[in-house]
Amino acid sequence: MAHLNISGLGKNFGKLEVLKNLNLDVRDLELVAVLGASGAGKSTLLRLIAGFEKPSSGTIELAGKQISSSTKIVSPEKRSIGIVPQDAALFPHLTVGQNIGFGLGALSQGQRSSRVSELLELVELTDFEDVRPEKLSGGQAQRVALARALAPKPEIILLDEPFSALDAELRARLRLDVKAILKAEGATAVLVTHDQEEALSLADRVAVLRNGEVVQVGSPTEIYNSPADVGIATFLGDSVLIDGKVVNGKLETALGLLTPLNSVTEGKSGLVAIRGENFYLQPNPKGEGEVVGQVFFGHDAVVEVLTRGVKIRARSNGPFAPEVGMKVTVWVRGAVNFYPA
Amino acid sequence: MRKPPAILVFLGVCAALLALVPIGYLGLRLVEGFDKAVAEILRFRTLELLGNTFLLVVSVSLGALVLGFIQAWLTTRSNIFLAPVFAVIATLPLAIPSYVLALGYISVFPNFSGFFASWLVLTLATSPFVFLAVSAALVRVDTASEEVARTLGLGRLAVLRKITWPQVRPAATASVLLVALYTLSEFGAIALLRYDTFTRAIYNAYRGSFDRTSAAALAVVLVLITLVVIWFERRYRGDYLENRPALGKRLRVDIGGLRFVAAALLVTVGVFSVFLPVFSLISWSIEGLGVIDFIIVINALWASVSLAVLAGLLIGVFATALAIWNVRYRSKWSEFFEGASWATHAIPAVVVGLALVFFGANVTPWIYQTTVMLLIAYLILFLPNALAAIATPIAQVSRNLEEVSQSLGTPANRTIMKVVLPIAWPGILAGMALASLAVLKELPATLLLRPTEINTLATRLWSATEDLAYSSAAPYALMLVIIAGLPALALNARARKALSEVKG
Amino acid sequence: MFKKALGALVVASSALALIGCSVQDSPLEKSEITVYAGRSEALVQPLIEQFQQDTGISVKVRYAGSAELAAQLLEEGNNSPADVFFAQDAGALGAVAKAGLMVQMPAEILGMVPSSYSAADGSWVGVSGRVRVFNYNPERVSSVPDSVFDLAAPEWQGRVAIAPTNASFQAFITAMRVTEGNERTAAWLLAMKTNAVIYEKNSAILEAVESGAVDAGLINHYYWFARGKEVGFANMNSRIGQFRAKDLGNLINAAGVGIIADSTAARSFVEFLLSETGQKYFVEETSEYPLIDGVSAGIDLTPLDQVPAPEIDLSDLDDLEATLKLIRDAGLI
Repeated sequence: MAHLNISGLGKNFGKLEVLKNLNLDVRDLELVAVLGASGAGKSTLLRLIAGFEKPSSGTIELAGKQISSSTKIVSPEKRSIGIVPQDAALFPHLTVGQNIGFGLGALSQGQRSSRVSELLELVELTDFEDVRPEKLSGGQAQRVALARALAPKPEIILLDEPFSALDAELRARLRLDVKAILKAEGATAVLVTHDQEEALSLADRVAVLRNGEVVQVGSPTEIYNSPADVGIATFLGDSVLIDGKVVNGKLETALGLLTPLNSVTEGKSGLVAIRGENFYLQPNPKGEGEVVGQVFFGHDAVVEVLTRGVKIRARSNGPFAPEVGMKVTVWVRGAVNFYPA
Repeated sequence: MRKPPAILVFLGVCAALLALVPIGYLGLRLVEGFDKAVAEILRFRTLELLGNTFLLVVSVSLGALVLGFIQAWLTTRSNIFLAPVFAVIATLPLAIPSYVLALGYISVFPNFSGFFASWLVLTLATSPFVFLAVSAALVRVDTASEEVARTLGLGRLAVLRKITWPQVRPAATASVLLVALYTLSEFGAIALLRYDTFTRAIYNAYRGSFDRTSAAALAVVLVLITLVVIWFERRYRGDYLENRPALGKRLRVDIGGLRFVAAALLVTVGVFSVFLPVFSLISWSIEGLGVIDFIIVINALWASVSLAVLAGLLIGVFATALAIWNVRYRSKWSEFFEGASWATHAIPAVVVGLALVFFGANVTPWIYQTTVMLLIAYLILFLPNALAAIATPIAQVSRNLEEVSQSLGTPANRTIMKVVLPIAWPGILAGMALASLAVLKELPATLLLRPTEINTLATRLWSATEDLAYSSAAPYALMLVIIAGLPALALNARARKALSEVKG
Repeated sequence: MFKKALGALVVASSALALIGCSVQDSPLEKSEITVYAGRSEALVQPLIEQFQQDTGISVKVRYAGSAELAAQLLEEGNNSPADVFFAQDAGALGAVAKAGLMVQMPAEILGMVPSSYSAADGSWVGVSGRVRVFNYNPERVSSVPDSVFDLAAPEWQGRVAIAPTNASFQAFITAMRVTEGNERTAAWLLAMKTNAVIYEKNSAILEAVESGAVDAGLINHYYWFARGKEVGFANMNSRIGQFRAKDLGNLINAAGVGIIADSTAARSFVEFLLSETGQKYFVEETSEYPLIDGVSAGIDLTPLDQVPAPEIDLSDLDDLEATLKLIRDAGLI
């Protein structure tokens, strides 16, 4: 049975329909990432789960009990749901230790103290118990916010783009730490983000949110390798779309005959989505492709090639990427996705 | 919309109902003689006085705004020397009742009178309101956006107008509202300076002909003007901004050689607003040293201070409740009740006093002429002073914090106690200090409603000046200024703490 | 049968009359009274303390302005805690009397002072007199004008101060109206609009003349004396003088007392003010005129008989209303 069950959830703000018919299950101990562009309704979803907004339609169930419906909601303080907001939102008038212990009012002094120490150790901030929030760095503040949310052992934790305010290197490190902390605490979590890397690297499952609906749910590899439609395909990763037709079970395209990944209907025309990493560029003075552009990222590069009337973007090793002007032969490795028109 | 906790609604409604007692009284009086009342209002002289009032209110509001803003900007944002000292000087006029300020001038310049004199005295007396509010807001301004604007080609003045001012606007307009309403109801100082305004018509009506109907009619006009002024202020103020974390270091603007000019300006203002009146008070006091009865002085001091502290606490509680209700759980009702508590702010204190005399003697005689009634009068008179100072800090507490607290199991009501109030506490204290200051200086309502044995520094001061015994009046005035100086300095310390966040 | 009923009726009504009489003859006994005093505490409190010592009746005094106290009494209505109203101006006393809040002053008390200094309807009695005087700066004004009407002349433009909102000025105008007629009064007021500098009260006028801000002014006599006592008569810059005998500018006025809640204690208080002790106090401490026989005025003051006694009832509000209208029409208020 799902730990968190959202079914048919809809939310309108006046005439604006932010969420419609949203369905999502989160299993116990799972970390689900809700991935969507800005404005797709991610924060609204979190606020609905936390109980700060009332649904216009649909229901939310947590641990078998209904907590939200369009007619009745359980108040936030009774839900046992922890939140880690985007900007940490630590209580400025309390120390780190007091922040973490805020939700532990039901415990005795001794129990609270030891739980706080436990969490401080978990987030690697043991010496910071009496420090005031204004003295913390961004990363440290986020850890404290996480510890605070975990302290009362909630049924589920909601994280709202928790790394967006941090710089890139810190982000990468903190992500892994957060995943480890959540696992160590045995927490179930929902994390909303617009950052694909974040969603794919952290989550057990990813739900793609588009225009107020969940359009696909699956493991990161499933989502990435088999996006359900063109929109998702182009949203995730860097895809090139070219025309194709199903002929004898294969895809006939300008780049040759390609193997379809998903099941296809014979004779259909449509779009073929090829990821940058599917391409292999073989330097060949007589090749049909010419490199027309390159963006160098250090460890890898994106190479633009014009071949057979189609412009493609290929991923390549950084130091060994073909230069502009070189001639190459373009190969497509692996199977690709086909979307009928 | 979330429902507000019952205690907030209860306190807010109580405060508003009390504030409406004077209006009820006015309505009662009006009903007794409506035609006569209308005739009184439409007299040419009345309209002439209304014109004088309008002129004075607008000019003092502008004057206080400009002066307060300049002082605030120079002390918080520029690299002027001795900024903390100038900040103290800018706050001190709060400790001096405007009639004492006027007396101080008259004793040095006997011919000092008329429109210009009234404008000068009132501007100097009210600019601290603007100074305090704008200082607090300026410290929170995002300087990074100002610097970006400079790179985009805006000169300094344009940055001030287009980037800085909009962020300071809510605080500035709220304080200018206080200035305007204060000027509307002010009588003592401008009577001394012999400039007749609308309040003169009210005083003449009940004093000359003991005609309370006409007096009430005129007071109603003031109430209507108040409502109009408030309406404008609400429209113009803009929304309170939430407190964003510092996005960049706050550096002081280098104004180069202008520092000397600016310093000279601030010193001049300080001389006129503080040193001159205090000096004249001190010299009068020295003359009067031989005549003082110290027991009477101590009694008056004790009465003044205890009333001010009690009233400050009472007003603080009600103002905080009303502010939280209106900022956090805003609804049509909360706005109505908040507005109602402002409605009587421009009514001269003597009319509020008389309304409570009527109400007290005839409806609730058991509290008539007791400290309780006096405290109620102070609540009605000065709740708006505190409201203005308290609403902003409460609005600036981020909603996120409240939601996190709720997610951790603390219900909404307790969240207010555990999260919102502690964070907004310095602002609440400031509001109480402002209210206490006003109570210390209050005269007409205190004279009417005090228990017969109780005299405050202000009432003692008044009776001494009635006797023309300036040398025995001066010590009371001096003591009043010193005592009132304490909350004034406390208010300034808050501004200075904010100043210390500014680097450079 | 008829006769019996009639007889019973006569007996009953006489009994009632007797009871009524006895209420009159022996009013409520009280050991503490509350006085609303529109006078200076510094000047008057010692006298009240003397009263407490002499009679053992304790007095709670509420000091404020006469007009404010009158307004307060009017608002309090029948529920006022006050027993006695001691005021500086007849208008204030009259307003309270007109509202029916004053008890008829006993005849024997009224008889202690000449009737012109008390209310015509006997609601309040005058206890001390004050005189309108011409206050002037001797360096700028060589001699006191003959008559107050001379002040209307162009040579006085900007040189004379008046306080049109002040009760004694208004009483003076009422007297002028009654004796000289509305037209002449209105003309004089209009001239004042051109010539006079307006002040809020008598004390402000005295200040102005003392400091040289204005050459002369019309005030009540005791202000000048009070100031002289404080700073020393030799240090005074201004002088006071009076217009020719019986000129309207020399108008005498009275401070008075009315009883709000009748009791022997209240009556004792009034009687004390009118006793030799009380009257002598007014002469010596406040430099006012005594109103009873047997006490003479201070040596510096013009004897009462040279000052015209007004034929008007100072407390008649209708008169005051008409006066105010004239003052307003002249644009002075």
